[in-house]
Amino acid sequence: MRNYRSSYPTTWRIMDVFEKAFAAIWPKGRGKYTPYLMLMPAIVLVGTLVVGLLYIGDSSLRTLDRSTFQFSDYWTLENYTRAFSESFTATIIWRSLLGAMIVTVITLCLAFPYAYIMVRTPNAVLRKFLLIALFLPFFIGQVVRAYGWLIILGNQGMVNDVLGLVGVEPLRLLFNYPAVLFGLVQYMLPFAVLMLAPAMTAIPEEIEAAAGSLGASWIKTMTHVIIPMVRPGLVGAGLVVLTLSLTDFAMPAILGGGSQDFIANAIYDQFFRTSDQGFGASLAIILIALGSVLVGLIFTVFGAGTLELGSSNK
Amino acid sequence: MTIKKSISRRQLLKTSAAAGAAGTVLAAPSILWAAEPDKPEELIIRAWGGPWVEALKNGVSDPFTERTGIRIIHDLTEDNEIQPKVWAAVAQNRTPPIHINWDTTTNATKSALRGVCEDLSDLSNIAGTTDLAKPVGVDGYPIVNTYGYVYVLAYRPEAFPDGPPASYHDLLDPKFKGRVAFYNDGIGFHFPAQVAGGGSLDGIPDAMDPCWDFVTKMKEQNPLLGEDPDFVTWFQNGEIDAACTISTNALGAKRNGVDIAWTVPAEGAKFDTDGLWIPKGHSEGDLYWAKEYINSALTQEAQQVWLDGLGLPGVVPGLTPPEGLAGDPSYPTTEADFERLIRISGRIQVENESEWFSRFKQIMQG
Repeated sequence: MRNYRSSYPTTWRIMDVFEKAFAAIWPKGRGKYTPYLMLMPAIVLVGTLVVGLLYIGDSSLRTLDRSTFQFSDYWTLENYTRAFSESFTATIIWRSLLGAMIVTVITLCLAFPYAYIMVRTPNAVLRKFLLIALFLPFFIGQVVRAYGWLIILGNQGMVNDVLGLVGVEPLRLLFNYPAVLFGLVQYMLPFAVLMLAPAMTAIPEEIEAAAGSLGASWIKTMTHVIIPMVRPGLVGAGLVVLTLSLTDFAMPAILGGGSQDFIANAIYDQFFRTSDQGFGASLAIILIALGSVLVGLIFTVFGAGTLELGSSNK
Repeated sequence: MTIKKSISRRQLLKTSAAAGAAGTVLAAPSILWAAEPDKPEELIIRAWGGPWVEALKNGVSDPFTERTGIRIIHDLTEDNEIQPKVWAAVAQNRTPPIHINWDTTTNATKSALRGVCEDLSDLSNIAGTTDLAKPVGVDGYPIVNTYGYVYVLAYRPEAFPDGPPASYHDLLDPKFKGRVAFYNDGIGFHFPAQVAGGGSLDGIPDAMDPCWDFVTKMKEQNPLLGEDPDFVTWFQNGEIDAACTISTNALGAKRNGVDIAWTVPAEGAKFDTDGLWIPKGHSEGDLYWAKEYINSALTQEAQQVWLDGLGLPGVVPGLTPPEGLAGDPSYPTTEADFERLIRISGRIQVENESEWFSRFKQIMQG
């Protein structure tokens, strides 16, 4: 008869060793602290971000002496005063904010039917096609995609070539605000679909059938049943698209042709072009504050419960 | 028959010059090699990519490696992006990520004012350079300028059948709406715009309203705003008819077969320089060989090959202009050439550029 211990698979014995080592470091009596231990990676990650933010906050309160290119050793609100007094800052804040909101609305409008068809279609080929079309852009970076649009929408690009066939003179489709918004919508669409699809999958098809059997038209089923039920997904997707668009750098830089800067572009300029990290940091803090206020507003209007946070406690 | 052996003044000068030149060539390395420290395996030089780094490699890096055995690594990080890394390394007493920064003089001036540059005034070959090698607005030689360049008005001859544009005012013609281009921060255009707007160069930096007035007029033309690579692309694609850009970009486009020409308009053109500098924080040996690299970049042989590739005028007398550039406005060599160009102290530029860039962007993007 074999020794029962030697009959254990090797992996079990390795796990035993780990268990003993863990028990030595973290005795059973401390079990009540285990959830806190599991929170540690998140605390370390968020803590690192907070430390970085403190450094940025500190920089934003120091002004650059242009005769020595050193920062002041005292704190002042001068950078913020400058940011709020320069009309250019107001221009880029408004452009970023408006752009982020337009992109969010358009993206959600496009993502909703995409996700609905992807989840509900009985056609396996169509579902696979939509899935591939959804994931393919993730393998292509944002910058490469933006350059792709330069080729397609340029004066000698494919779109103008097609327009030329019907006698239309080449149009300037790039280096303007709509081009930036177009690029952003195309970039954000997969994120939004990815966030909406699980919310739609969670709605049983029978509910739609039930609504129909009770006399609701397809439109009424959508507006009274599906959209309210998918609201957590819509809010989540909206939050992601809104914050990513607000802080985007590449699309305004590439498709805006230097004439449609967002806040991130202005921050880059201050950090790397004029070497004024203090002013750049103040713009970064303004951007963070703006994003936080927007997210706070969304939570206030729709409630954090719309993301199904803490729903089990209700 | 008596043979009168006399030495004319011309012969004496020629002989002296030859002896002097030979002496300089021989003495140059020996001054530095008098107490030659151990050689590092490699030196890291920050450079711009494409034809820029190729020209540096052919003219300076490869001959240096051949002579010393030290491998040269070219780091193609953008000059603006390497700057904070170098500043942070010096502030934290760490070894900087590069040995030598090939930088715009304006950018390098910021580093010099911050005190992160090694002093290069003991380089033996500086004695053989023109005034252009000396950075304006800083003491000594924290940077050595290695060549100059002009922000020319490049244009497509097809769009200007009556001859080159004589002035920036010519670009205000409605037919050029959406067909002109500038750098997205207006660099290169601020000073000619000051003149075009009716102001004087003495008004820089305190009285620049004429500049902003003219930029506002130009905004009505809905110009394209971009960076160096954009100009070449736009000219190649026929998207623009004229642009204020560095002559090297125009030359690059021309060498790629684009029908393009350039001129210095009546308002003048901004003249600027690039240079080499060494960040503080390197070991004595590395510093010695980094200095030796820069010293070798100031020889006639190195400058000739390096700057042939860039099509730019160097800081060593006696260079032969690249084919087709002799007498070209983008290749100033004589006093008369420089009279048409605008050169503003690096110090004034770095102290005011943030405001100028913001103002330009506000007008163009407002």
